[in-house]
Amino acid sequence: MAACRALKAVLVDLSGTLHIEDTAVPGAQEALQRLRATSVMVRFVTNTTKESKKDLLERLKKLQFDISEDEIFTSLTAARNLVEQKQVRPMLLVDDRALPDFKGIQTSDPNAVVIGLAPDHFHYQILNQAFRLLLDGAPLIAIHKARYYKRQDGLALGPGPFVTALEHATDTKATVVGKPEKMFFLEALRSTGCKPEEAIMIGDDCRDDVGGAQNVGMLGILVKTGKYRAADEEKINPAPYLTCDSFPHAVDHILQHLL
Amino acid sequence: MVPPGTVPAGSTLPMLSWACLPQYMNWLVWMPSVVMNISVCFLKRLKRSQLKVRFCTNESQKSRGDLVGMLRRLGFDISEGEVTAPAPAACLILKERGLRPHLLIHDGVRSEFDQIDTSNPNCVVIADAGEGFSYQNMNKAFQVLMELENPVLFSLGKGRYYKETSGLMLDVGPYTKALEYACGIEAEVVGKPSPEFFKSALWEMRVEAHQAIMIGDDIVGDVSGAQRCGMRALQVRTGKFRPSDEHHPEVKADGYVDNLAEAVDLLLQHADK
Repeated sequence: MAACRALKAVLVDLSGTLHIEDTAVPGAQEALQRLRATSVMVRFVTNTTKESKKDLLERLKKLQFDISEDEIFTSLTAARNLVEQKQVRPMLLVDDRALPDFKGIQTSDPNAVVIGLAPDHFHYQILNQAFRLLLDGAPLIAIHKARYYKRQDGLALGPGPFVTALEHATDTKATVVGKPEKMFFLEALRSTGCKPEEAIMIGDDCRDDVGGAQNVGMLGILVKTGKYRAADEEKINPAPYLTCDSFPHAVDHILQHLL
Repeated sequence: MVPPGTVPAGSTLPMLSWACLPQYMNWLVWMPSVVMNISVCFLKRLKRSQLKVRFCTNESQKSRGDLVGMLRRLGFDISEGEVTAPAPAACLILKERGLRPHLLIHDGVRSEFDQIDTSNPNCVVIADAGEGFSYQNMNKAFQVLMELENPVLFSLGKGRYYKETSGLMLDVGPYTKALEYACGIEAEVVGKPSPEFFKSALWEMRVEAHQAIMIGDDIVGDVSGAQRCGMRALQVRTGKFRPSDEHHPEVKADGYVDNLAEAVDLLLQHADK
């Protein structure tokens, strides 16, 4: 059934799929070359609240991946796009390292709030400022709503709890822009001109990558690298289109069966 | 000021049983942080009447001693024993259940917990910590909860925000929600609008819910909380009051008054009948 689709675009997750921290997944660079030798368009998609496209690109280049900046689509890009569409001036509650992705956006006299993970900014007075803007009707845009993440010193609060706090205080709902939101995948595909039915997503997060993509009508391949844990593929219904060992295997499958 | 005894259009008269029960009529009153002098003399009038008065607050930045001190300086005739506050109520619960809290609270209220063992914590108490609500402090509370097999979180009140001269400020509620979301748990609320809290205030006055009325500026914490406990409630149009409160989708006060003075006047007038 799937083989009847005309595959035109492949979305690839970064951390956990192409690389794990500063190490490339074995064979991933060469697999990417093989994929690029076909007619499909490739986009790299990731949930990040603190790494700008430039930082991501630098790391990928160091790992010998052949990737250009305009092929990367992150949750920060999605937030920026939404800010531009809404023509608002955001108060940016994001890590300073993410600021380059908002270059050129007007932030004086703010009438919107963009919230990521910004421990340095999550102070009472600053959250009060955001709260007052929201009460005045400013929209709340959340990069994503992760509850917590793993740090070297143990678990640490993600942006989700702070988004929830502001939502609760103002009786509003944030617009979440990162994976697994439908909008994220549609926006990532926009520059390819492809429909979801013509695209496939490869990632290591069963819910956010595979489930999210399949929810908009794409196919999803789960790779058993990165954050993958045994039986993750059972977490979503319908199950992933395919579960395979790693990115190179996913590329093999695409080359053999989907083109 | 509205002329004494004027009932605002659209409000209903509170305390229908007032006339037949004057000697048992009781008040729970909380005054917003900004109080006009006029309220002072009205409070005196109230206390000279046969009504019992108790001050029911979610103040969790100050100890009762400091709170009463501040109110006395403003001219209010109030003593510590007349105040029902969440920190002392929480201490009772902690002792009863043998719990040792990690405290995410304001330094001003820390003295209320002097007698509580806080070593090797097995629960978290969160209160309006103000500037103490930093990422680091929130994270510490989160880590304590995540290490517990059975995480217990007490929230002293769950107000969403309150008003200060500089503007509206986030209260403890949103920060409690943040920890609830992060840990996938539900906090136990100590303070308004928890019915247990109102019941303890009523018990301290030795009166029944139907014999008492609550006056406050918070449509949810004061009005809804008291009503759910079987009391009647007036909302004052001061403090955190917002005009939209009078069209709240779920809560309708038994009456709306412009300020405490008008509330007192209204009730005393009915008491005289």
